[in-house]
Amino acid sequence: MITVLAIDALEYTLVEKFDCNNLKQKYYGKTNISEFSEPRTMVLWSSFMTGKNMEKEILAKGDKEMWNTRLDIKDTFFDQFENPKIIDLPGFNYITDQHDQERKLLKEFFDVQSEEEKDQVRVEYNNLAFEHHRKIKEEFIEVLEADHDFILGYFSVADVIGHLNFGNRTMMKMIYKDLDEIAGSLKNQFIVLSDHGMEQIGIFGDHSNYGFWSTDFKDLDNPGITDFAEIIREMR
Amino acid sequence: MDKENLKFVIVGHIDHGKSTLIGRLLYDTDSLPKGKIEEIEQICKSLGKDIEFGYVMDHLEEERDQGITIDTAQTFFNTTKRNYVIIDAPGHVEFIKNMISGASQAEAAVLIVDADEGVKEQTKRHAYILGMLGLDQVIVVINKMDLVDYDREKFETVKKELLGFLSGINIKPSYIIPISAKEGDLITGKNDNMDWYQGPDFLQALDSFKIKESAKNKPLRFVVQDVYNFDKRIIAGRVESGIIRKGDRIKILPSGEETTVKSVEEFLKNVTEAEAGKSTGITTEDKLFIDRGDVIVHDRDVPVLTNHIRANIFWMDNTPFNKGDILWFRCATQDVACEIEKINRVINSSTLDLIAEDADEIKNREVADIIIKTDKPVVVENFNTIEELGRFVLRTDDTLAGGIITELVQ
Repeated sequence: MITVLAIDALEYTLVEKFDCNNLKQKYYGKTNISEFSEPRTMVLWSSFMTGKNMEKEILAKGDKEMWNTRLDIKDTFFDQFENPKIIDLPGFNYITDQHDQERKLLKEFFDVQSEEEKDQVRVEYNNLAFEHHRKIKEEFIEVLEADHDFILGYFSVADVIGHLNFGNRTMMKMIYKDLDEIAGSLKNQFIVLSDHGMEQIGIFGDHSNYGFWSTDFKDLDNPGITDFAEIIREMR
Repeated sequence: MDKENLKFVIVGHIDHGKSTLIGRLLYDTDSLPKGKIEEIEQICKSLGKDIEFGYVMDHLEEERDQGITIDTAQTFFNTTKRNYVIIDAPGHVEFIKNMISGASQAEAAVLIVDADEGVKEQTKRHAYILGMLGLDQVIVVINKMDLVDYDREKFETVKKELLGFLSGINIKPSYIIPISAKEGDLITGKNDNMDWYQGPDFLQALDSFKIKESAKNKPLRFVVQDVYNFDKRIIAGRVESGIIRKGDRIKILPSGEETTVKSVEEFLKNVTEAEAGKSTGITTEDKLFIDRGDVIVHDRDVPVLTNHIRANIFWMDNTPFNKGDILWFRCATQDVACEIEKINRVINSSTLDLIAEDADEIKNREVADIIIKTDKPVVVENFNTIEELGRFVLRTDDTLAGGIITELVQ
């Protein structure tokens, strides 16, 4: 069985800083996403699963519609497996309601004026993201026991929480340590992959222009996100 | 009245719960900023976990990074008895360097051991360093008792193993306490799970420690800085320990000549005594030859004059020491040529690995147990007796090493 821990906005420097040894595994580094004009979540994950640069195609859908992207399994490397299980991956089976709600609250946070209102929205936003994280974690742990030859769990908590709280290092460390624990619970060979990282802007966070990867079996040097489709195919 | 302060350090293997213990202490003594612990608790809950007190330390570090907390390396809490300062050493190197240089002096230490994992190599190394630095007020806490079902037998096994090691390096802990920093067992009061343990809890044990004795209650050591001949002959210096009074019978070392203090001089003040920490001048009844580097003591409490010293040093120069090199030994105002007669052992201050025994070389950031031979006899003290004359530097043109004296070799 091959497992991919797909973590949105897992920042290389924080993995190092917080000493997340399970996330780092034996070989780790930054993924190269310089071929993309901007580090956009939907573009990057779509490019990952198809093994080709999907920027043009996704951007053509427009800002709103791109979030509804649902690629056919036949267009992805998941098709190479007999019984794959993909959880909540953008561009494939993303839980649209959840992420729409997150984006709505994020917009609301910047729209409201008073600090009190902002605090309220922040709490609501954080709670929503954490609740979703718990659900995904639970599902992910459950499917690890089932009979799948490929499992991908997509964890958005570092990205969603990071956007409003990246400057809160204690909170981010707690999230990274939780993700590290998830990686530590994996028994079989796995890849950790993030679409991009995150950089601090005051208390907030914005996407950085490199991702993160780790494996326990091979030094991938400086891989592009589109290289992983082939890497995983070879692992079968 | 201001409460007294006691500074202590917590050492032990990296995963044995140091941060959790500190977080728990701050929480149980209500020393955390309002709202912070609730936030940590909330996030833990959001992640589906029990509160983890270790994150309190992350929060404090974050505040330091942001300049909200000014102090960079100390954490404070208090009990009804006194204030406590936890010296937060970022690494072994800094801790050892600070202890030896006197920049940050711990008066007590806590050695933390995981009840489940037991004594690890790092536990031994840290214990060794405590012994080397002369810390004699030591609490051992066997932590994470919750993970071993508060089992007495497990506690006794780890205790026996640790005591076996500690006795070999001359550390006799004042207390060995089973705790769970995570659950708060035997930290302050609460003991729901280990009724087989009858001793003090952690804070009671800490409260029983003594703060460092004031240097003014120790024997007189007045180190001469200079002699000025005005209308009277003033011997200027610093009282490192004890009190010097008008009329005291004193002895000048190393000459051994005796006289009486005629006056204690302070600019524009009429005084008759000066205590530890004071730079002052005295005049004497007899005109004796006194020079910079001499040490004036009471004739009733004369220290040993020696030219053989055992010490622990921290080498802090890129140029290594090689056996045979001539150095200068400076202790207070005494400055004499010396050689390192024997290098008993050399330790890597970062990993605490033993590098060599009976060595010929000491390199940058290494700690060494050495025997020094000075050209002339000096007035020095065991660091634990009179700290002020128990600390020295070794130098050429630059300071090469700092050290503390562990034994006066007769």
